[in-house]
Amino acid sequence: MIESLFVLSPTGKVIIEKHWHELIPRRVVDYFNEQVSKAMTEGEDVTREDVLPIIASPKYQLINVYRDGLTYLSPVTKEVDPMMVFEFLHRIPDILQEYFGQVSETVIKENFVTVYQLLEEMMDDGFPLTTEPNSLKEIVPAPNILNKVVTTLGATTSVSTRKMPHGMSNLPWRKAGVKYNSNEIFFDIVEEIDAIVDSTGKAVSCEAHGTIQTNSRLSGMPDLTLSFVNPRLVDDCSFHQSVRFNKWESDKVLSFVPPDGHFRLMSYRVNLPSQQNLPIQVKPSINIGANGAKFDITVSLRSTDGKPVENIVLTLPLHKSTTTLTAQCNVGQYMFDPVGKVLRWDVGKIVPRERAPVISGSFGFGSASDAAANAGYNIGVEFLINSHSLSGLKVDVLKLFNESYKPYKGVRTMTKAGRYQVRA
Amino acid sequence: MSDAKFFQRGKIQELRLELNSDKKDRNYTRKKQTLKKIVANMTMGNDMSSLHPDVIACMSIPVLEVKKMVYLFLINYAKAKPEMAYEAIQTFRRDVEDPNPLIRALAIRTMGYIHVDKVTSCLIQPLRHCMRDQDPYVRKTAAVCVAKLFMQDRHLVENAGFIDLLREMLVDSNPSVVANAVAALTEISERSDHIQLQLNMSIASKLVTALNECSEWGQTYILESLMFVVPQEPGDAEMLAERIAPRLQHANSAVVLTAVKVIVYLMNYMSKEEDILSMCKKLSPPLVTLLSSGPEVQYVGLRNILLVIQKHPEILKNDIKIFFCKYNDPIYVKMAKLEIMFRLASENNVEQVLSELKEYATEIDVDFVRKAVRSIGRLAVKIESTAQRCVEALLELIQTKVNYVVQESIVVIKDIFRKYPNQYESIIGVLCENLDNLDEPEAKAAMIWIIGQYADRIENSDELLDDFLYTFLEETVEVQLALLTATVKLFIKRPTAGQDLVPKVLKWATEEVDNPDLRDRGYIYWRLLSTDVAAAKAVVLSEKPHISTETDNMDPVLLEELLLHIASLSAIYHKAPTTFIPHCKPRFLIPSPTLRRQNYNVGRTLQHQDSYSSLNNSAQFPQGLSNNMQSSRSDEDDGNGGLDEFVSSSKQPQHQRLSYHEQSFDQVAEASIGNQEYYEQKINAENPYRTDTGAVSGSQANKSGGVDLMSFDL
Repeated sequence: MIESLFVLSPTGKVIIEKHWHELIPRRVVDYFNEQVSKAMTEGEDVTREDVLPIIASPKYQLINVYRDGLTYLSPVTKEVDPMMVFEFLHRIPDILQEYFGQVSETVIKENFVTVYQLLEEMMDDGFPLTTEPNSLKEIVPAPNILNKVVTTLGATTSVSTRKMPHGMSNLPWRKAGVKYNSNEIFFDIVEEIDAIVDSTGKAVSCEAHGTIQTNSRLSGMPDLTLSFVNPRLVDDCSFHQSVRFNKWESDKVLSFVPPDGHFRLMSYRVNLPSQQNLPIQVKPSINIGANGAKFDITVSLRSTDGKPVENIVLTLPLHKSTTTLTAQCNVGQYMFDPVGKVLRWDVGKIVPRERAPVISGSFGFGSASDAAANAGYNIGVEFLINSHSLSGLKVDVLKLFNESYKPYKGVRTMTKAGRYQVRA
Repeated sequence: MSDAKFFQRGKIQELRLELNSDKKDRNYTRKKQTLKKIVANMTMGNDMSSLHPDVIACMSIPVLEVKKMVYLFLINYAKAKPEMAYEAIQTFRRDVEDPNPLIRALAIRTMGYIHVDKVTSCLIQPLRHCMRDQDPYVRKTAAVCVAKLFMQDRHLVENAGFIDLLREMLVDSNPSVVANAVAALTEISERSDHIQLQLNMSIASKLVTALNECSEWGQTYILESLMFVVPQEPGDAEMLAERIAPRLQHANSAVVLTAVKVIVYLMNYMSKEEDILSMCKKLSPPLVTLLSSGPEVQYVGLRNILLVIQKHPEILKNDIKIFFCKYNDPIYVKMAKLEIMFRLASENNVEQVLSELKEYATEIDVDFVRKAVRSIGRLAVKIESTAQRCVEALLELIQTKVNYVVQESIVVIKDIFRKYPNQYESIIGVLCENLDNLDEPEAKAAMIWIIGQYADRIENSDELLDDFLYTFLEETVEVQLALLTATVKLFIKRPTAGQDLVPKVLKWATEEVDNPDLRDRGYIYWRLLSTDVAAAKAVVLSEKPHISTETDNMDPVLLEELLLHIASLSAIYHKAPTTFIPHCKPRFLIPSPTLRRQNYNVGRTLQHQDSYSSLNNSAQFPQGLSNNMQSSRSDEDDGNGGLDEFVSSSKQPQHQRLSYHEQSFDQVAEASIGNQEYYEQKINAENPYRTDTGAVSGSQANKSGGVDLMSFDL
């Protein structure tokens, strides 16, 4: 059970403080801030993201999540399920995002009262309760401007007159009485590739994580069935709670009554074979000497079904003793950050059968060192391919039951790099 | 400071006037606005408590939003100023009867937070009504309120019949109400000394049915409560696990991990090997999927995976690749992944693992690099066929001359020498080139052990030792012990080379040093050497006991206990909860006719390892030289190796004890009284401040009198 919550500003000041059990004194925040700055000065390359999410203190276990500059800190004294605490702490900015469009110190301060009301509904006595945006919005109204926006967009949010909050209806995720003039539903299939690729271009590990983000704007109580051409590609999947699991088990179709608005219908994982053809190939070559190194990196397209690859960005973190870098590239532009010691190359878009982008140059160490000369290099790769699914998962048909209208249905696919790195 | 105070006082006056203004206030917009200001001030830490008469006066305004703010105000200040709560009681009484269920629930919820006797006593009657309210939102709020009340006044809750009311709620028609009732009961059971939740199969089955319909959090509460089901019949566990399995596919990782926990627990009660195997197969994919979430979830997942795979090695055994580290993983994730990689390493994948480890040894983070190097050495010890390649990899790393890499390599090479004597001595030359750079005690001690062990093969071993001896008195005890033993070894192997050094060292050790271990060892050597050189040789150069990486497996008793605590802080730290959380109820597998035989000995004492200690490839010695993880490495025992014979003889009993205590299941079942005693002892030992352990052991004994078992027959 969560006992207390502190939301801390980027400088470590308390913005929000809430205690469900005993009052935990703010001293704990000072202790936490000390621990964080201590951890960050300890190692050479330690960032805020490297700070342990659970810090033990003599009296409390400091469970914390760091997101967009804000820290969500929950000190506990009793045994607790940390997974639940993390899920819940992440849910707070998710909900705030949903309510206010963005999350920051200012936004929270401007909406104190709403934020506190939300926390009251999201948690009682340390038990997470209602965190479905659909149900929350019925109990705590979103700020007015947002309401206006919704109405002008044509969605008649006819809040039903019945007194019972819908958080308690038989479908806790869907409110009743939703009505749209034009009924439409959109599916965004986004696949992210997580891969470690060695310098020869061979994938050391490689998997695709897909999500089906859905935006449902359907009236009434639509009951949908979404089927795929090739559902057996999927190795593991998790579903929004609206999805009837048994149907998936037996027929490999997604059968569900959608919540209203945006939600993640399904996420899935596909193990890719190690000989998988990755969409692009990055060929690095780095020759390191005692005082510096020469490098060149080539990017080429491999298998994208003829689709262009866009937003290609390569980042090469350099050893901390690096002081100088010169380079040239035939496509895009590069930037060397002398403080963070990172080379960032914005390649942009590659169209099939165009010449391959290359960057080459050299960098020097401030002083010769064994550590620098023996350090390994990794290149972080980002890219995006529209209308492409790496796994090949394809939607077949969407059927609507229980309602008589014919909705507009839209499906988009996209593949992009997730945690994708190439070893040099 | 005083100015600020004055300003605030002025501000409060201003707010009070606004709140009491007689101006026309249609729809109470002005009041709402002012209350918002007050709440905002309050949340920023400005003391608004002096406004309480004015704020409480607003309670009578029949607007939900206004009520919410007044209640926020009350919760915030009631602890410090209980008298404020008295004034609210009247309105509270009205609100719990309000036709709007939201207001009824709000009143109940708020009053539960106010820990003032007078308020609490006013709460009992309305709370009872609310638990049977026609609206499920009110009922589910009331269920949680019972848990709140329990924290304030246990006796009140137990005597006023609330437990029975909660029990009734378990079959409520609304799944959210069921979930909250379960959550409240579990919480009460965990906190109470004489209430122990125990669910029978029929209620468990009903709960699982509700599982499908309730919110994600409700699902975790229900799943958690299933840990209190003790399957009695063959097939019960399988059936339950089968029905829970779909939860492994949930988007909420807390639901997934709690489902894993329950299934792993139920496996203890499964009779057929193939059922267990098929469950294991189902557990792997969702555990892999946890690793695609954010770093915090990954971390919790990894720490729990490390426990699960120790008990069920078939889980994830083919998924080692997902534990390969990305350079931008947070350090704590990398460290946790590395431990799992080592566990999963086998003949089949050792090639890949080694090449990964070599990659990590070139990264920037020092701790991670060290751990990677150490893992290479442990891999050599674990898998013989790969030892040669590991040694080569370590040599390559030594060539980099990166100081901490070299030192770490030497530490593990010592273990490799120990495991595979007379195979890799050819590399000693390379090691000796790096003597000057050693500044860490552990590396020094390891190098000194190597020199002593191979004193007869290293030509200038006497000179090398002499160099080290130069700073003998400034060294740490660890290094001094190693030096003492190595010098004696040198003397026994090459008397002429060692004859100048030995007297010097013995004299230092016995006369100049304060450490009793060192002095004692000095005396023993001295006497041995001066009375019977043959005996000295037999002792000092005795055959070493084998080392293997088996020994860093977690203590089976602790592992079994931690598996019952998957998805908890204990599973993160790999420490029994009773060791770091006050007033925590220990859990154990409750015997039943279908409980599988546990092949660990129950009587052994618990050894609590530090969470990162399992990377120590050390033979563990029962005497517990030190509870600090660093010094529990056997290297030292061995680096101190002159007492090998003593050490190995003290190892002996442990093995005997192990086999002696291995009991068959039948014995365990029959000896359940003995078990019970054990648990009682354990509780006392671990929680010495607690006197009433009788209740726990009583509930463990299942039906012993005087204990209110919450077993539900419906």
